[in-house]
Amino acid sequence: MQFRLEKRAEISRSMLYFTPVAAVLLTMIMGAIIFTILGFNGAVAVREIFLTPLTNSLKWQDLAVKSAPLIIIAVGLSIGFRANVWNIGAEGQYIAGGLAATGVALITHQMSGWWLLPLMGVAGILGGMAWVAVPAFLRVKLNVNEILTTLMLTYVAVQLLNFLVFGPWKSPTSFGQPQTVLFNNDQILPYIIPGTIVQAGAPIAIFIAIFAWVLMSKSIFGFQIRTVGTAPNAARYGGFSANQTIWFSLLIGGGLAGFAGMLEVAGPFNRMVPQFPTNYGFTAIIVAFLGRLHPVGVMVAGIVLAISFVGGEIAQTTIGLPNAAVGLFQALMLFLILAGDILVRYRIKRVGQKSEVSSS
Amino acid sequence: MSIDITIAIIITMVGASTPLLLAALGELVVEKSGVLNLGIEGMMLTGAVVGFAVTYDTGNPWLGILAAAFAGMAVSMLFAVLTLSLSSNQVATGLALTIFGTGFSALFGQAYTGKPIALFKSVFPDSLTDDRFLRVFFDYSPLVYFSLFMVFVVWWFLQKTRAGLILRAVGENDHSAHSIGYSVAKVRYGAVAFGGAMAGIAGACFPLILTPQWVEGLTGGRGWIALALVVFAAWRPGRLLAGAYLFGLIATMELYAKAAGGAFRILPSELWASLPYLATIAVLVMISMRRTKSSSAPACLGKPFMPNN
Repeated sequence: MQFRLEKRAEISRSMLYFTPVAAVLLTMIMGAIIFTILGFNGAVAVREIFLTPLTNSLKWQDLAVKSAPLIIIAVGLSIGFRANVWNIGAEGQYIAGGLAATGVALITHQMSGWWLLPLMGVAGILGGMAWVAVPAFLRVKLNVNEILTTLMLTYVAVQLLNFLVFGPWKSPTSFGQPQTVLFNNDQILPYIIPGTIVQAGAPIAIFIAIFAWVLMSKSIFGFQIRTVGTAPNAARYGGFSANQTIWFSLLIGGGLAGFAGMLEVAGPFNRMVPQFPTNYGFTAIIVAFLGRLHPVGVMVAGIVLAISFVGGEIAQTTIGLPNAAVGLFQALMLFLILAGDILVRYRIKRVGQKSEVSSS
Repeated sequence: MSIDITIAIIITMVGASTPLLLAALGELVVEKSGVLNLGIEGMMLTGAVVGFAVTYDTGNPWLGILAAAFAGMAVSMLFAVLTLSLSSNQVATGLALTIFGTGFSALFGQAYTGKPIALFKSVFPDSLTDDRFLRVFFDYSPLVYFSLFMVFVVWWFLQKTRAGLILRAVGENDHSAHSIGYSVAKVRYGAVAFGGAMAGIAGACFPLILTPQWVEGLTGGRGWIALALVVFAAWRPGRLLAGAYLFGLIATMELYAKAAGGAFRILPSELWASLPYLATIAVLVMISMRRTKSSSAPACLGKPFMPNN
């Protein structure tokens, strides 16, 4: 029996929501099989990675901490991906934002006041924007592919971070450790739930996602982004500037990644260290796709990916599963979600069956 | 600079260029068929870890290379099935392949961390490889000569064979190629498999000719530079050779800058380490500034092809 794909006149709404859920479930099943083959207890590995973080309420605070930067970065990236702008160097913009915020923190280290954190936040956003402005400029003025430039600048950002923490920013009291001084109390994000490690990053992430949802669905700007992405010719006819869209979507993506960098350095890290890049910028790409490039979907997807991170740490201690296994699970999830895309746009027909609509 | 140092730099440069050249040659063929595979880095890491493991377990680097080629090809098929049969987004799928390869190599390589392997022995007699001057021609791993041979093979295949012509036709106009009876999907599957095998071998270069041990993420973004090289070379194998050696030279200068000191010390080592990436951006800018229609990309690059629509 043979099958044939037939294009749907409109994308399937039900498939749009069903396929990400199916992708996560299939990841769990396939993951269990793969890890059994690799010599681990596959079923236990999947339970520890995907279920324990949910059933163990002590781990919920970790989920909030890990999902916040993923959501913030992915919301920004998904706006760009919708406009067909491929910023894949969010990791670099995240580092640049963290560095800019650290710079402000070091300059104002002897000062106090409520205004220090907002200032660091602005610095973080501007740092991320500055880092993405180069690819944006090159794309708009010279049509240089932004995929490569944003990614190359990520490697440069890592080197800049190393240069600063091993050199001029190294704390004099760190006994030779490459790290900056600890930030002062006014430069550290407040804890919002007493007795937990949840800082202001979590509610900010929710706020940003909801704001982006309203912006994308209700404003002209959102319409412009969506039109440029899906129908570039119609967008040009309608008077939407492609260059303006590229600038906007890259600056939003870079700014939010930089902001996430500030929230991390002023949050869980409290200082700048060489271990600051934690691949949030790359994982956020998976979050964006798993969330179907929709801010609300991104929020759910951010939590799913945070579960896999937290669960990976649990599995490492309980059954000795290497941490790299989590990356494999995440890649598998992205493969499956992309494979599922075809069900959104095509329907599967059995060849030989009478088709109702002849293909055009 | 003394002649000995110059020769040493040339030898290091050729070694550093070889993985770039191999991976970029593979990607060139893939892109000529109209497919953009951003997963080079992932396929390289997969090839690197499998090549290392097989070399370590069998003691035979030739088997290691063969296994690396097959491993690269195997993971490239993941990409091929998704993008060619299921018409998924090529950019996102290529990224997924890189994330997959990174995770797989880190997981699989853990058992091999800190274990030494024997480097590839030169195929030439010692009298040639130890000679002060002649070693500049003979003191290389067989993979280096293989990569140079492949430059010729890829050029010959694309320009002089019927199969190469079909491959280019598929990349330039998939619908016409389809309508005169060529299977677009089959040609592209073949091209992606070749690109995967080349990237796998390129990855194996890292443990087999550069550093004889397993280090997580040892390719350090070279797969992305290979991608940029294809653009730099305007999809021509000959220019790819020049581009790869130029980047190899930049990477070599970084190594010498760290070791040498003196004038190199004025600039921080992190700046030298950033140089290959900054140079890639500079090169992309230069190409864009003088881009003409004739040297531009295959017309169907990155566009999915569905015959029924």
